[in-house]
Amino acid sequence: MLGWKDIRRMTRQELALQVGLVILVLVVIVSAVRSAQINLTALGITSGFSFLERSTGWSYSFSLIERAIDDSYARTLLIGFLNTLFVGFISIFFATILGFVIGTLRDSRNLGLQAISGLYIQIFRNIPLILQIVFLYAILIHFPSPRQSLTLFDAVFMSNRGIFVPVLNIPIGVAAGAAVCSILLGVGAARWARSGLSAFWIWLAGTTVALAFAGFIFTPADQSVLSIPELKGLRFVGGLTLSVELVAMIIGIVLYGAAYIGEVVRGGLSEVPKGLVEAGNSLGLSDLAIWWTIKVPMALRSIIPPLGNQWIFIMKATTIGVAIGFSDLFYIVSTSITQSGQTLELIAILMAGFLLVNFAMAQAINWLNASLALKGYGA
Amino acid sequence: MTGLRSWTKAAIAAAGLMASGGAAIAESPTLKTIQERGTLLCSGHNGSYFGFVEVNDRNEWKGLDIDLCRALTVAVLGDSSKAQIVPLSWAQRFPALQSGDVDVVIKATGWTMGRDTELGLQFSIPYFFGGAQLMARKELGISTSAGLEGGTVCVAAGTTIERIVADHLKSENIEHTMVSFEKTAEVISAYTSGRCDAYAAWGPNLAVVRATQIDNPDTHVILDDKLSSEPISAAMRQGDEEWVDIVNWMLAALIKAEELGVTSANVDEMVANPPNPTVARLLGVDPGMGERLGLRDTWAREMIAEFGNFGEIYERNLGGGSPYKLDRGLNNLWSEGGVLYAPILD
Amino acid sequence: MSAAPAQMGLLPTLKQRAFATPLDTAITLVVLAIFTWLSWTALDWAVLRAVWRAEDVTLCQQAGAGACWSVIDARHRLILFGLYPFDQHWRSTLAAVAIIGTVVLSCIPWFWTGRRLITLWIAGFAIYYLLMEGSLIGLEQVTTDKWGGLSLVLFLFSSVVLLGMPMGLGLALMRRSRLPVVRLVASLIIDFIRSLPLLTTLFTAAVVLPILLPDWLQGDKIWRVIVAFALFFACYQAEVFRGGFQAIPNGQFEAGAALGLGKWQVLWLIVMPQVFRHALPATINMVVVTFKETAVVIIIGFFDLLASASAAFGTGEWVPYYMETYVFIAFIYWVFISSLGQYGEYLKNRMKQEQH
Repeated sequence: MLGWKDIRRMTRQELALQVGLVILVLVVIVSAVRSAQINLTALGITSGFSFLERSTGWSYSFSLIERAIDDSYARTLLIGFLNTLFVGFISIFFATILGFVIGTLRDSRNLGLQAISGLYIQIFRNIPLILQIVFLYAILIHFPSPRQSLTLFDAVFMSNRGIFVPVLNIPIGVAAGAAVCSILLGVGAARWARSGLSAFWIWLAGTTVALAFAGFIFTPADQSVLSIPELKGLRFVGGLTLSVELVAMIIGIVLYGAAYIGEVVRGGLSEVPKGLVEAGNSLGLSDLAIWWTIKVPMALRSIIPPLGNQWIFIMKATTIGVAIGFSDLFYIVSTSITQSGQTLELIAILMAGFLLVNFAMAQAINWLNASLALKGYGA
Repeated sequence: MTGLRSWTKAAIAAAGLMASGGAAIAESPTLKTIQERGTLLCSGHNGSYFGFVEVNDRNEWKGLDIDLCRALTVAVLGDSSKAQIVPLSWAQRFPALQSGDVDVVIKATGWTMGRDTELGLQFSIPYFFGGAQLMARKELGISTSAGLEGGTVCVAAGTTIERIVADHLKSENIEHTMVSFEKTAEVISAYTSGRCDAYAAWGPNLAVVRATQIDNPDTHVILDDKLSSEPISAAMRQGDEEWVDIVNWMLAALIKAEELGVTSANVDEMVANPPNPTVARLLGVDPGMGERLGLRDTWAREMIAEFGNFGEIYERNLGGGSPYKLDRGLNNLWSEGGVLYAPILD
Repeated sequence: MSAAPAQMGLLPTLKQRAFATPLDTAITLVVLAIFTWLSWTALDWAVLRAVWRAEDVTLCQQAGAGACWSVIDARHRLILFGLYPFDQHWRSTLAAVAIIGTVVLSCIPWFWTGRRLITLWIAGFAIYYLLMEGSLIGLEQVTTDKWGGLSLVLFLFSSVVLLGMPMGLGLALMRRSRLPVVRLVASLIIDFIRSLPLLTTLFTAAVVLPILLPDWLQGDKIWRVIVAFALFFACYQAEVFRGGFQAIPNGQFEAGAALGLGKWQVLWLIVMPQVFRHALPATINMVVVTFKETAVVIIIGFFDLLASASAAFGTGEWVPYYMETYVFIAFIYWVFISSLGQYGEYLKNRMKQEQH
């Protein structure tokens, strides 16, 4: 903090400048508050957060948890927030994987692989995300209707309503728990396994066993282990429904995000000293082993900071959901504003939500950075 | 743009003027801002809402609501080209009104209690009537909303329809998914592509969309259920009674003109030779029509000369003169089996 | 190292990089097959089987018809100019050319001095504004609510860059200040704006700001949105400048001071030119991102390229041809963004070589 010593070292001019700045900031804030008061009273709008308890009376396309039209504004906003996090994290996960693939191909020696990954980046990086998502959505909703849907073994269906897949008949809480365990196992395997391939096998086997186990224990007595989607009337019942808005959001953001992450990864990989790769070659390591044990760990140091920025970007990009009717936080806030008129309060909630997520993600990325450095790869 | 502050200030000034005596009429702060600015800011749409607010092939605004806005501009400023149409989504029309980005919202807007109270709005007399309805593909073989069990319904976000349909389907216990979009074009495109089984919208607009905006009108049916009956009004900011008066009497004059048989074709003749005292008052032959609103006495005459009466405006935009060929139904004069009534012009 | 491939002929390079091992050969062949198939499908759809003229729209419905460019033929004016008055489209075209010309000219190194760049951009922007608005040079007045399509995109883009650049520089200097309060204010603004999605910032400017601002400060919605967008740009650009400052050894300030120059003189005459040079690749990157991000203004109700495109296929007979319309505007965006991006890459490589 500012000590007396620092203050005494400043000239009178500098002190005046700073005091002036503080006063200016205060004046701006006070006058904004006063304008708001005057304007709101003139319009007869009630302010405050009591509207959060009123029921909304409208519905929307997607929710992870149970919803109804008489939900309160508070619950509806929470659902929007969860939807944003959900789409954000799923997209981050897949965009990172695809981005590593693209980046590795860009870095490869083979001209063909370079060309195809280059083309990918050229296309998906140079068209606005919102246009890509709207375009993709337009294509997806022109798929056949549920009654004529495309199907795989009569278990997976694809129609203009979305994708319907069989799912284990387990309660949502257990499913969430299983997902968390699977992620932890994946992280652990990646960290301690000898190669990428063995890490993948460990993760796959572990996850399968855990899911089978969960399926047997938690399936309700009168139902089958697997719930398979089935056409009934106008829709599919059973199974897991990925609505077409959700699918368009995830695919769109992943394709776009991966193009950026691919460039980040390529940059990181190309900075790995050639000598190290040659050393790996002379030890008789396979290309895959060199990639996993030498190149990726060395490159991660320079990849993580820009990768973290991309992750934060992806999370913010979910606001585009409003363009295709996906009920993310921004969409819910925007509809709530028209229906309830509580503009200031709702914008404050929207901002607080994003500040919170951003802060948490920045902390997580810092931690990731620090832990990589500690592990001894750091300089 | 027009600031809220300026018009509260102006309101105080106007009040002061009144208190200081004289026969001066309380002047509307909104009117004053419009006159100072020289343009009237109306609500447009982010795309086309066919029949009401739409963009034609030459990129010009047209439609019933646009004509009403231009008629209002003639009444206020004497020149319809002074109307400035601000493109707005459904969800933005009220924030834009509250913030002063537009002076009035004339955009198929239903009069609801929530809007009247919590949103701080004020509504004019209704100029249009129609209820929310559902349209579905004929191949589904359904005639009422009960057949939508398990289906998906598309709707425009931030509208009364969104709530009315949710209410209705819930009270009928019909399991459904609702998908809502910010733009009308997106809703229509989602419906025509088959993303939704039904398209919920305001009845007159559904008929317009069915008639011209989808490939084959015969393959779609408008379901029997009348989900609501909505009076459509112009919306204004609260706290400017005089401005509401002007908009009200603009609408009343158009309806009254139809009742009295004044049209754009015969208006000059009627001015020269008023058949009765009401027409004389309406067209400003007998003074008083303008002064009481703070306008010119001839405002209604000019407005009708350019746009015609309400019936002509309807015919041009929705009726026989348009591609939509919509029956007037409820939106006819009371004497013709509709519900349109104008207040008394005394 | 980088010179090695150049010395080899084309064939040996190909052999080494595409056909070195059987696996390489297989991959190359598969990729070639994919490319051939992709290009053939695209060519077949977009050119060979396409229908071109608006009058021929009935042909689009026939089996085996490819892209229906009739929709573009019939509606391209709506897509490019939005709601701009029909008989004034030449103004919109010239205005767009002025902005594109400005961007192209500023890629030429001759313009890379502070004064020339600023003059160029202000001139380009002024030409644009005078032509589009019209009333100041005796043409029919066209208010901003009628500006749309590609020219609106270019307007947003150029005004954001023009306004955002000095704001970014100001924020960067504030953040480097010796005075803790100044530093704190700058960091708060930068971190706050950078934490929010662009859409949130713009939405706030469009919808919420009028409630918070006194009336004389409000301005048109489009100007509020532009200022908010410029602030967004500035907060990112400030960090780019900060990177540029960090590349400059501290000794230069001291050397400057020893020459008897004032603090600000050192800054303007010695430090800033170097900062700009260091920050150039990242700045171009920011400019590219800004161009791309202008597309989100459709959500706050502007009639930009995306909005006018969806209006173009939104009426009756054109409804089935959404694909052609989106491809058309995707291509427009792609041309702009990828040529700017390519230029940035070229510049980066050139600067890298200069350093070695």
